[in-house]
This record gives sequence, structure tokens and C-alpha cells, in this order.
Amino acid sequence: MRLADLLEFAWRVVLGYRLRTLLILLAMGIGVAAVVVVSSLGEGARLYVVNQFGSLGTNLVIVLPGRSETAGAMPGVLIGKTPRDLAINDALSLKRSPAILRVAPLIIGVGDVHAGSRSRETPVLGATAEFIAVRQMEMAQGHFLPEGDPRHSQPVCVLGARLASELFGAKQVLGEWLRIGDRRFRVIGVLAKQGQSLGFNTDEIAIIPLAAAQALFNTESLFRILVEAKSREQIPFAKADVEEIIRLRHEGERDITVITQDAVLATFDRILRALTLAVGGIAAISLGVAGIIIMNVMLIAVTQRRKEIGLLKALGATGQQIRLAFFTEAILMALGGATVGLVVGKLGQMAVGQIYPDIPFDAPWWALIAAPLTAIITSVLFTVAPARRAAQLDPVQALAKR
Amino acid sequence: MRAADFIAFTLASLRAHRLRTFLTALGIAVGIASVILLTSIGEGLHRFVIAEFTQFGTNIINVSPGRIETHGAPLGAVNTVRPLTIDDAIALRKAPFIQVSDPLVQGNGEVRHGGKSRRVTIYGTGADFSRALSMRVAIGEYLPQDDPRTPRAFAVLGSKVARELFGGENPLGVPVRVGGQRYRVAGVMESKGQVLGFDLDDTVFIPVGRALEMFNRESLQEIHLTYEPTAPLAEVEEGIKRILVARHGLEDFTVTPQQKMLEVFGTVLSAITFAVVAIGAISLVVGGVGILTILTIAVAERTAEIGLLRSIGATRQRVLLLFLGEAAVLAAIGGVAGLLLGLSIAQLLQVALPALPVHTPWLYAVLAEAVAVAVGLIAGVLPARHAAQLDPLEALRGE
Repeated sequence: MRLADLLEFAWRVVLGYRLRTLLILLAMGIGVAAVVVVSSLGEGARLYVVNQFGSLGTNLVIVLPGRSETAGAMPGVLIGKTPRDLAINDALSLKRSPAILRVAPLIIGVGDVHAGSRSRETPVLGATAEFIAVRQMEMAQGHFLPEGDPRHSQPVCVLGARLASELFGAKQVLGEWLRIGDRRFRVIGVLAKQGQSLGFNTDEIAIIPLAAAQALFNTESLFRILVEAKSREQIPFAKADVEEIIRLRHEGERDITVITQDAVLATFDRILRALTLAVGGIAAISLGVAGIIIMNVMLIAVTQRRKEIGLLKALGATGQQIRLAFFTEAILMALGGATVGLVVGKLGQMAVGQIYPDIPFDAPWWALIAAPLTAIITSVLFTVAPARRAAQLDPVQALAKR
Repeated sequence: MRAADFIAFTLASLRAHRLRTFLTALGIAVGIASVILLTSIGEGLHRFVIAEFTQFGTNIINVSPGRIETHGAPLGAVNTVRPLTIDDAIALRKAPFIQVSDPLVQGNGEVRHGGKSRRVTIYGTGADFSRALSMRVAIGEYLPQDDPRTPRAFAVLGSKVARELFGGENPLGVPVRVGGQRYRVAGVMESKGQVLGFDLDDTVFIPVGRALEMFNRESLQEIHLTYEPTAPLAEVEEGIKRILVARHGLEDFTVTPQQKMLEVFGTVLSAITFAVVAIGAISLVVGGVGILTILTIAVAERTAEIGLLRSIGATRQRVLLLFLGEAAVLAAIGGVAGLLLGLSIAQLLQVALPALPVHTPWLYAVLAEAVAVAVGLIAGVLPARHAAQLDPLEALRGE
């Protein structure tokens, strides 16, 4: 039998039993669509988290005070204090390293902001002029904190967009005075709207100079130091330099934790990839069930088409050819089901994308290949038994009996 | 038709095509097994988390400074212009129904003894910390009942710290350096292991007054309160808020009862379990399509039989019921098989991976069976209706 004949033969069979074909297409389609949609949800979540992390800044190295010898705890959950603080001078000394471009020491806390008769409790960030460049945030109005020695502060502050509108309404904000805790600040800038970023809403923060935050919270110690390396390749050197410089300043004690943005990102990336793979796998179980249906239907078909097969064999078709005919049929149906599934899955993904426009839903390339491939492989595997049965039919018996 | 005949007829037609019945039921079985397995893991995880939390007791309330939360933790715990003080913690002892009020500040520092040193988590606590969180002391005692503002320099070691620094020696009464200051070891805690990522054995407990000094801060990180287990939670919370508002002038703190936290965790975990199970249930739907396919084929094959049944007086409704019954039985067999399959895989998992908590609630098992039968019935409707609407004359002539 030529390939063209084989295809036509299988095609006729597929068309001949329309309802049956339709139902198998439905089963396969559900399976493939499920894999596509579920894995695109997982991939969307992964890309979202990765983008969010990327928007924190590029080539970041984060320095936190304290070090624990127990592994296991997530980096970043260290919120406690240490006997030896990270001080402003520690942060400034990091600029000695040739691998480091910018340094942004941070103090964070909660304070009440009063403007006129209105007051709000908001996160307050003590930062320096370089902070905005490191975090890559934009200004909507005015300027960010002025340059200068971070050990001395001017009474100025920068507000998040939402905080500014809540405190001052539609009024002109720049140049207004407000009070945070027991200290007065003049507003010199408003941040552009950025929205939630990893659970922290930058639209609601007030940023004040580092020295002012130290006085406000009555603390010397920095919460974090954000360090920007000169380039991606320089990150390991920057990390080593930070550890060495601080160790020397802290009398030879290694009492800080240094994490790189890349390391954190890689961890999240791995976890979310594994999760996507797991849910995709669970969805793929349905493809196995679809395979069982194909096997069942094929077995019935062998019984029903006894005479036809017997005739083919009597005309000289070998067992090999009969088997091939069945496999072609199975592959045709799997291909059809996969196409239907891919289209429906893409439509579903687009529908979900309409509901959550923030999250970049996109089926990962491996799912787009793996889903149809799994469909074809399962259907071929489950056709092995029926095809064997058909190939082993004795032509005389098949034609004689009924 | 009598009920017995009805059942016998259905079973006979299923038995006539054993392989077919087996494969169709297998489709449903795979679906049910994956649903059962996934719910078991979800439920096991849920119980695991609740057990992790409740090992400290269930009647705990945390009070922390500030009202803004990020990453699930109050930001005020880091820095705040409105501190919670040791005096606040002492005042809360007088709140209604409160049994224990214990201030806490947490940090990270070095413990030194002899030539050895180790960087550990330092908890500054009151004398009632072990009582509030129902943690046990292995040897010696917990911190003494001093005035928390001017306590003596005693320290209690976590079991891992004691082992690393002292090996087999008895640490009681021995001076150690914690964060550069001298303390005398009063006791060693019992091993507690990792709790949600924190190693509670790699900790040193010192009096809170000294810890605040050491870390140079004025605000506590949180206050642990326990209340009488029978007391109404709303009133307990009310009492705490009244006292603190009277002291601070406004509500600048967050009160989190542990029960609320458990509820939040419960909701989140249930949602995740539900989502995963829904994905698993797709297989069940495909299994339903399998039943639909097989019954459609069966109706076509058995046209003559249906015609005969109708011509000797079986009503349309009877034929409909016959096919629906067949679908339901198919699905039920698959359901039971799936249940057994799922349960045995769950058991195997438990043996192979003891760390992964697995628990199958009976309610879910029954529900899964009901869902299987429902899927079978829904899948059976179309072919059964088709069979019922066959014209007996046509059906017989076709043969």
C-alpha cells in the first residue's frame, strides 16, 4: 500500500464513523486544551513574578544585617536586629569597590503622616539620592531627595502618588509642609504611579532622607543596603567585595548576609517552573484517559470491521500493512484532537488574559510541543493491542463467520 | 420489568463485553483516583500546617506595633514611631481573660563559649515565654521571674546551640557570651525541630529588657498573650484593644488571634486544593466522554435488541432507564476501582515519603463515588435518549 492510499483509507474510516470520531476528538481536545491552559497559567505566574523582581532594579546585590548558620529559612525573612548594626558608614565604604556602581542604604518603618487635619499611617522609607536610580522608579512631579552627605539631612520628603492625593486631594502638593511622627518635612516630589510590587505598594510610601529616618525611628541601624553592580558579570565580584569590606569594618566578624537578585530570582524561577510542570502533568492524566477511550473504540472497530479486514488480508495485505492502517487512523485522530485542543486552549488562555491583563499568560513552548506529542504517543500506544488483534485475524475465519 | 430483572439485564449486557466494560470503567477509575490522591495530599498538607501552628497552643493572640502589613507580617515590627513597650506587655496582664502576657524581640547575634562561637537567632522574652507557647525546658529552668525592665543576665539555650557549644558537658550555670555580653546559662530547651522554616533549636533566649538594650531599640516586636480557652474571643480582643488604646491614645497596633491566622491559612490551602483537584477532575470529564462514546456504539450495535424489547411491551421510559442504569453502573464500578487505586497510591506515598502528609477524609471518598455516578448518568443521557426514541418497527427492519 502506498502512503497516499494508506492515508486515504484511514481518512475514509475516520469520516465513516462521524459521531465516534467526534467524541474521540472531544476527549483528546479536552486533554490538550487542559494542558495548554493550565501550563500557560503557571507560566504566566512565573513571568509575572520574574518581571516584578526585575522591576526592583538590575544587577542588584542586597545586604542585610545578621547571619544565621541554619539554612532553610528564606532569605529576606530576617527582620530582627543585631548587636552590631549596619551603619551608614558601612554603606558609604562599599563605594570603594570597583565592581559597585551605586549604593542605596535603606531604613524602613511605619509612621503617621499628618497634613493639615488629615493623617494616615504609612510605611516610611529612609533613603538617599541614589535610591531612585537603583530601584528605577520615576518621578511624576518635582525632584527626588537631593544629593549630599547622607549623614546630614534636609527636612524634605517625597510621597507616593496615592499618598499624595489622599493627603492633599487635588491641591498643589509640591512645597507643602507635613509632619511625620514628631518631625516636619517639606514635600519636594511625588513618585509616578507604580502599583503593587511583590506585596509592597510604592504608591503609599513616604520617602525621607536617611539621617531623618534614623532620628525619627531612633535607630542607627540600616534595614538593607541595595547595591547595584556595574554590570551583570560584576555581580559575583561585587558580592565578594561587600563581604570583605564589611568584614574588615566589623573587626573580622562575618555578621551580614549578602544575597544577589539573581539567586533569589533563580530560586523563584525554579519553584514556579516545577509547579507549572506538576499541574501540567496532572492535566496530562486526562490525555491518558483519552488514550484508553481510543483503545476501547479501536477494539470495537476491529470486531465490527472483521469482514473488511479479512477481505484486505485475502487480497494480499500483510499483517504489517493492517497494523499500519490502524496506527494511521489513530494518529489522524490524535492530530485532529490536538489541533482542536490547541485552538481551544489558546482561546481559553486569551479569555483569561482578558480578565487579568496584568499577568502575561503565555503557554510555554514545551507545553505546546509536549501536549500534542503526548496525545499522539498515547493514542499510538493504546492502539498497539487493537492493531495486533486486527493483524492476527485469520482471513478465512474472518470472512466465513457471519 | 421487576427490579431484579432490570439489574440482571444491565449486568448481563456489561458482562457480554468484558474488555469494553473494563476499559470504560478504567477511564473513570483513573479520573477518580487522581481526584482522590490530590485531595488526600491537599487535606494532609492542611492538617500538617494546622498541627505546626497549634503545637504552640490554640489560645494565643499576637499583638504587634503598627497597623500596616506587608508580606503577611506587620511592618511596624521593623521600625515604628509608635512603639510597643515592656510596660504595655505588663499592662496587658490585667486585660480580661488573659493568662499570660509575654513581650518578644527577635534578632541575630553570636553566642560564644570557650573557643567556640555560633551565629544564632536571639529571642528576647519575658519569663513566661515557654508557658505562653507551651515549649518545654529539657534541663534547668526557663528565665527567672524578674522584673522584665531590669532582669538578671540569664540565658536559656536551644538544644542545638547547647549541643554545638557544649557537646556532652553540662551547660547549667556556665557563663556564655551572647552578642558580646555575659550571661549565665539557666536552662536548655527541649528539641522542637524546624517549624515552618525556622529552626527553633538554633536559638538563644535572653531576658527581653537586655535584648532591647543589646539591639538598641525601644519597641518590642510583638507581645504573645494567652487567654482562658473558654473565654469568648471577641471580648478578649476587645479588652486588649481597650487597654492599649487607653495607653497609646489611638489604635496603632495589630491584634492577631491565632485562630484567625489558622482560618486564613485554611482558606488559602482549601483554595489551592480545590484548584488542583479541579485540574485533576478534567480526567474525570474525559472518562465521561468515554462512557458517552461506548454507549453510543452500544446503542447502534443493539438496535435489534432495543426493537425487540420495545415490540414486546417495554416502554420508552424503560429503555431509557436501562441505558442510564448501564451508564451509572459502569461509572460506579470505575469509581470504586478508582477509589481503591487512589487510596493505595496514597498509602504507598505515605510509606515512600513519610515527610509528605497524606490524609483521605471519608467524606471525600463518598463524594468522589457520587460524582463518578453523576458523571456516568450525564454521559448516559444522550445515548439513552437516542435508544428510547428508536421506532421499534424501523429498528427490527434494519436488522
